[in-house]
Amino acid sequence: MELLIKNGFVYDPLNGINGEVLDIGVKNGKIVDPSEIDVSKAKIIEAKGKVVMPGGIDMHTHIAGPKVNAGRVMMPGDHYTSFMKLAKGVHRSGTGKRTPSTFLAGYRYARMGWTTVAEPASPPLKTRHTHEELNDVPMLDKLCFLLLDSNRILLEYLSQGDLHKFKHAIMWLLEAMKCYAIKLVDPGVAVPWSWGKGYGMDFDDQIEPYGLTPREIVVNHAKVNEELKLPHTIHVHCNKLGIPGNYETTLKTMDAVSGIAQDDFSIHVTHVQFNSYMGDSWFDLRSGSEKIADYVNKHSHVSLDVGQIDFGTAITMTADAPFEFALYHLARWKWAGAEVENEAAAGIVPFKYKKKNMVNTIQWCIGLEVMLLVEDPWKVILSTDHPNGAPFTRYPKLIALLMSKKYREEIMKKLSRKGLKRSVLPSIDREYTLYDVAIVTRAAPAKLLGIHEFKGHLGMGADADIAIYDLNPEEVDFSKDYVKVKEAFGKTLYTIKGGEIVVKDGEVVKEVFGETIAVKFKERPDPEVVRDMEAKFRKYYTISFSNYAIHDGEIRKLKYMTCG
Amino acid sequence: MTSLKLTLVTGRSLNQGRWIDVGKLTKGYYESVALVELDPEDFEKLGLKEGDRVKVESKYGSVVVKAVKSRRRHPGIAFIPMGPWANQVINPDTYGSGMPTLKGIEVSISKTSEEIPDFKKLFPQIFQPESTGDPPESATGETKIVKDVVCSFCGCLCDDLEVEVAGNRIVKVGKACALGVSKILHARENRILHPYVRNNGELERVDLKTAIRKAAKILVEAKYPLLYGWSNTTTEAIRVGLELAEYLGGCFDNTSVICHGPTILGVQEVGYVTSTLGQVRNHADLIIFWGCNPLNAHPRHLNRYSALAKGIYAKSRKDRKVVVIDVRETDTAKMADFFIKIEPNRDYELASALRMIVKGYDIEFEKVAGVEVEKIKKLAEMMMSAKFGVLFYGLGVTMTLGKGRNIEEMLRLAQDLNEWTKFVVLPMRGHYNVVGANQASAWTTGYAFAVDFRRGYPRHYPGATSAPDLLNNGDVDAALIVASDPVAHFPAKAVKNLLKIPLITIDPKWSLTAAVSTVVIPSAVAGVEVEGTAYRMDKVALRLKKLVEPPEGVLSDEEILNMLLEEVKKLCR
Repeated sequence: MELLIKNGFVYDPLNGINGEVLDIGVKNGKIVDPSEIDVSKAKIIEAKGKVVMPGGIDMHTHIAGPKVNAGRVMMPGDHYTSFMKLAKGVHRSGTGKRTPSTFLAGYRYARMGWTTVAEPASPPLKTRHTHEELNDVPMLDKLCFLLLDSNRILLEYLSQGDLHKFKHAIMWLLEAMKCYAIKLVDPGVAVPWSWGKGYGMDFDDQIEPYGLTPREIVVNHAKVNEELKLPHTIHVHCNKLGIPGNYETTLKTMDAVSGIAQDDFSIHVTHVQFNSYMGDSWFDLRSGSEKIADYVNKHSHVSLDVGQIDFGTAITMTADAPFEFALYHLARWKWAGAEVENEAAAGIVPFKYKKKNMVNTIQWCIGLEVMLLVEDPWKVILSTDHPNGAPFTRYPKLIALLMSKKYREEIMKKLSRKGLKRSVLPSIDREYTLYDVAIVTRAAPAKLLGIHEFKGHLGMGADADIAIYDLNPEEVDFSKDYVKVKEAFGKTLYTIKGGEIVVKDGEVVKEVFGETIAVKFKERPDPEVVRDMEAKFRKYYTISFSNYAIHDGEIRKLKYMTCG
Repeated sequence: MTSLKLTLVTGRSLNQGRWIDVGKLTKGYYESVALVELDPEDFEKLGLKEGDRVKVESKYGSVVVKAVKSRRRHPGIAFIPMGPWANQVINPDTYGSGMPTLKGIEVSISKTSEEIPDFKKLFPQIFQPESTGDPPESATGETKIVKDVVCSFCGCLCDDLEVEVAGNRIVKVGKACALGVSKILHARENRILHPYVRNNGELERVDLKTAIRKAAKILVEAKYPLLYGWSNTTTEAIRVGLELAEYLGGCFDNTSVICHGPTILGVQEVGYVTSTLGQVRNHADLIIFWGCNPLNAHPRHLNRYSALAKGIYAKSRKDRKVVVIDVRETDTAKMADFFIKIEPNRDYELASALRMIVKGYDIEFEKVAGVEVEKIKKLAEMMMSAKFGVLFYGLGVTMTLGKGRNIEEMLRLAQDLNEWTKFVVLPMRGHYNVVGANQASAWTTGYAFAVDFRRGYPRHYPGATSAPDLLNNGDVDAALIVASDPVAHFPAKAVKNLLKIPLITIDPKWSLTAAVSTVVIPSAVAGVEVEGTAYRMDKVALRLKKLVEPPEGVLSDEEILNMLLEEVKKLCR
């Protein structure tokens, strides 16, 4: 199928295109020069007065896997009230807002013009399950990050100082689990949590029986990540998440890996809002966004995603199990805790963010502050840490908030005044441009993930993942008419995935299945190390090593990215 | 004539489990299931001798079975293995939970000279297949040993089996328990080898296309079909089943509705705290089995994952305390350090009492649920002082009165215990992929079981959209049964209604449901003849292996369901 998208205002930051009126050609699923399109056969999309962007990329969204599914089962109420009907021959049905069913998650992303997502936390032993769910997520290309920080076998290698085994075991695990990047969550915490301990563990605390600190875990993973030339950096959920005063831990974590990569990023700190708190307790909580933004502005090795909250019911779910147990004492409703042998733990707690609550107001401000105070938009990604801060369907609203001070002021009128006093948001004037928005939702995540050669832009040869929004930058004043911005980003005029029109006028018109992207190394994992892993595995695990790895055939559409 | 008032418990026995794979239409199955086990003293009181028959009567029906004297004491309790005979007397009411009351029913038992009803008596339309033995095949050819085979019997999903294959025939199964050996070694017995369609009351052989066309027609013409089963097949097949149910606007329910559906109802209320089995093996110094009997239902559980397993911190049985809570002294209870005999239907009370003690309240009774409070205090003390405690529970608490509420209270107990120490809960899941059925259903629809698609999107109302209720009430007008046998395991009232509507069965074996169906389509045995994914009781997904070729012309559930879906779509166009 050939497409010609004519006369749109194109926002393509990876190619430096800022709202120029251009034609975009699409052929065989790729972007081509418009002159290559046979106009007599092609479908012509008239995009005059509309915005054309690459498909959105969410680099941190919990949409599939064991804890997401546990969240679904725990929250039938979320599914009774939010659903999509079957359209025979077009798309499947689904339910759920905060923990949508797999098909619905795909459709909802596509309706907003998002075309690639990363499921950011899968323990190896449960990754077969994660991929089974990702196989049933339509409309999107998918990446999966592998939880490695509390992995018993890796920690043993590290405590013995055997970095060769450490590195090769990581290679083997990433390949065997068909994953894309290394994920560290409250590094090391699942070890003490096996005995119900570990809440509030700091960056230089000892983890027994290994005699290691989170610092050593983070630094060594960052080094191996760099040595392996993985396309993404280590993806880190810092220690002490959600605890007042934790901005210091966050700064320590960022500083620990400075210089590991030459002139490049060496760490991605995820949902940093939850890790930017000043104060000694919840009573004297203050925003630490300036400290974080200041560090990021002065250093070139750190990228962030923000983990913005929005008011209303969310479901918090994370591999930071002790934190969830603590949160359960605040929320006092439902709590799920789960542990995966030798690898990880997780928790789930439904939570309500309230406008009049001081802490929630500060949290809401911090996220926006980080987005607005970090000067270089290439370093800071819009995320809600779905469904932790808010469902991903709030992106249109968040984009409007970034683009309009007036809108922020409207909302701040309804918030806790005490909370606002402890935040800097009221004093920030900056408003995002459409170009900035295209960076923080498309170009920058593509760049940070290392998929920018084929995703996140509209240059020749790129995958034809395109969103067209009903928004005329020459007519709409984004600052004043934020409602229009919100509406435009909520439902695309067209979403094009792999060269096919999948959404038209905000409705799904075709179901397609994207690829699952996994890394493969040029260097092969040392067979000696794999044998050693197997011996340890036999002692520690309850399944056979040969049944651990996932076969290529288990993934619906697998695409390897070679690195090294 | 003497009659005794007893409490009836139904459930799996080792013999029942072994015979289902040899064949349910066999004498062996009949003899393992059409019986009631009685306490020796109760047996004497009734003036019985071995081989005598008794009439078991409840508010819901009556049945004649053989009386068997138990080897162990369980005064006041009668046990009938799950099956069509038990189904005649159990309480079909689910009280809004989806789960009929299959345990803890009041019955009166008396000696009788009446005959035990056979299959034909219970189900007049039953088809007796010509041959239940192996299909013609050759055991000649290369011999090979396949290692690390995943056992597709129970929720333990043991993945260390060694299976010896000669040519296209399995000759030896190593490392498995009696149930696993029986399943894999007898995979070729009692097979359905051709599709059948019922014509003038008789099942007649047809080709696959005809059977698929007939099945599709039944489903499309139905106003509200039920698609039920799914726990003994691969996740791949379950996913197609979900799409089919959605397309038809029918109801999709899996067998967890009559096993751990109440577990899901409990989780919906309070969440849960759990771990994989390896955490238990490596850490647990206190292991509690409540209303479950792994020695009979999950024979390798103790060795691989729990009481007897070799772990990192808990190295052997010596390092662990084992507690059993049950209404009778089971085989598992005999190896426990501490056995608590609880009155039937009183699990909620015991769980509440434990919670009270853990929270520091006093109990002003001498006994709760028939257990001395001192004993309950001792158990609570053991729980709070454990380093890593685990509570495994089974159908003994999901099937009795209270159902989901029992589980809710037990989950809350474990959550409360985490204020003191590390404590996790794990349900003992029965069928090897019943967890997969829950998982796939949840990620596709948001709900783990009892999913209704009538309005074009998934809805979930246990007690209304659950298979036992739909059948009890006669609310569905056609049924597709995949890899399950509701005729053998649903209450008599539900089965009666099921037999009134067109019934399609996809199954490798002549189950009772297959033998009374309108359309029968044979399928290959997953984990023996077909690969696929299955989920262990702790939700760890494993890949089932293909060991031998299926009988000629026999396809996998996934392939058959895909054909059926295509045909349905064609008819709807």
